[in-house]
Amino acid sequence: MSIPEEIDFEVDADDLEPLQEQERELGAPSLVVDDLYVTYRVFGGKRVGDRSAGRMQRMVSRGRQHVGGLTSVEAVRGISFVARHGESIGIVGVNGSGKSTLLRAIAGLIPPTKGSVYVSGDPSLLGVNAALIGELTGERNVMLGGLALGLTPDQVRERFDDVVDFAGIGDAVYLPMNSYSSGMGARLRFAISAAAVPDVLMIDEALATGDAAFRKKSKARIDGIRDQAGTVFLVSHSLRTILSICSRTLWIHQGRLVMDGPSEAVCEAYHAFVRAQD
Amino acid sequence: MTRAADIEIPTRGPREDAPAGELPAPLGPLADSDRMRAVAQAAGLRQMGVRPPLVPYVQSVWRRRAFIATLGRSKAYARNQGSYLGQLWSVLTPLLNSIVYVLVFGVLVGTTRGMANPVAFIVVGVFMYRFFDSSVMAASKAISGNLNLVRSVHFPRAVLPLSTSVTELTTVLPTTAVMCVIVWASGLIPKYADEPITWRLLLLPVAIALLWLFNTGCAFLVARWVAITPDLKNVLPFVLRFVFYASGVLFSIDHYVRDPALAAVLGYQPIAVYLHLARATLLNEPEIQVDPVMWAFGVGWALLFLLVGFVVFWRGEERYGRD
Repeated sequence: MSIPEEIDFEVDADDLEPLQEQERELGAPSLVVDDLYVTYRVFGGKRVGDRSAGRMQRMVSRGRQHVGGLTSVEAVRGISFVARHGESIGIVGVNGSGKSTLLRAIAGLIPPTKGSVYVSGDPSLLGVNAALIGELTGERNVMLGGLALGLTPDQVRERFDDVVDFAGIGDAVYLPMNSYSSGMGARLRFAISAAAVPDVLMIDEALATGDAAFRKKSKARIDGIRDQAGTVFLVSHSLRTILSICSRTLWIHQGRLVMDGPSEAVCEAYHAFVRAQD
Repeated sequence: MTRAADIEIPTRGPREDAPAGELPAPLGPLADSDRMRAVAQAAGLRQMGVRPPLVPYVQSVWRRRAFIATLGRSKAYARNQGSYLGQLWSVLTPLLNSIVYVLVFGVLVGTTRGMANPVAFIVVGVFMYRFFDSSVMAASKAISGNLNLVRSVHFPRAVLPLSTSVTELTTVLPTTAVMCVIVWASGLIPKYADEPITWRLLLLPVAIALLWLFNTGCAFLVARWVAITPDLKNVLPFVLRFVFYASGVLFSIDHYVRDPALAAVLGYQPIAVYLHLARATLLNEPEIQVDPVMWAFGVGWALLFLLVGFVVFWRGEERYGRD
């Protein structure tokens, strides 16, 4: 497998300062992951039988590729770790290493095939097209997104102005979302997800969109969640983003945890590994 | 909150760093499962990805009722966006639809098929059947069509078939108003019976509510079956077409089926019952009267399907979203 070079979408050297880690006292465990396995069913594809098989068998197996094509993909294979309140944890790994699947599985969104995940509160995942319907205005999507996160209608109405301010999209909130640029859409999604303060917040490349000012705001929001003793997970290809936000980093490779430790050490080892693949 | 110091968190022993540029060996489990569970319990954590017991599940669905209603109504609203006439289409679509039936059966085809007013009979049948048909078809996409939502927010998945059911209910309300007007207007066609407005019209909302509950039950069943076995989605239209012809949507079952046992089965199956209930409230047919036995069947089928459907859907809860 060829490994693409790390893509730095998001960072101008000056706009994110490295993490100033004041001695934060870590709390009790907020997330326990015990020997987690996630297997996907993938329809419509099957590995064709090996070449040593007879001609007849190969023909059958080639036909089978189109009928009953079902492959099991083991995306996560035996990962264990414990996260604590007040921790922010980065997840790095090459494309297809299972980072996003791991994130969704520990958010309880993809059920584990084997092993267990224990979480405090209702974890929430940021940076994906949640309940947002393109034909509807931003305003209605704020309501829908807020309700999806488990807020009551009154709570959403209360926080509506905050959400719109934070997204910074102005009157565009009264237009249908399919008229938004991808950056505007991402900002509104981030703002909606940030309206609820979860115990465990998961971010999947969310900071990759938005301009410098918005990224600073997002970082402030993430720090705020950590100050309220929440746990933040961040999947990113940008090591600089990880270093500026996360105190601890997990390195995932082919569905397995290969390194778990302070961000500097893990990022350095990961960087060296990616470079060595070229 | 439990204090950190009270809980001993298992750690991995130190190990030698892999040489720079090489992949370190995978890290194994932290501790055995019992120990990990004990740590999680001490910290008051909840296990994810397991099916909650039935009663807490029902409660968590109930807490999401505002989300169900908003999601369902928003989807219905979004359907008609993106055109000049916008929401007006929620009335225009059923109107055009019934005009087709009036033209075909009121003008082109002259037979009465033994009914006092075949146009009204068919319009009510078709509209009510469509309510069922589209509810089931929408439910088949309840999980797969919302996979983004399923994979980004945590909520009881029964919210999804419920919200598709709300979408269809939202659509059927303007449709029903159009249906009533068309039925009344069909009485003006000289050769067909008048369709006066009577007290029985008050029962129409009850009939629609019962059909909606029945549809919701079917939605749960179909949502689970299709989520687990996607192939069933391709079989579904044929099943629905069979039910269409077996339920007397276009013709009266009594009029065509001679075998009394078969006629009883066809007459008391859920769809035929709901068509009967709706017709009894609207039409002026001597053969279709308000019949307490039929209403009892209507209530029974609705409750039976709703309960069985909900339980069947709940039993698959931990599987939705893995594929």
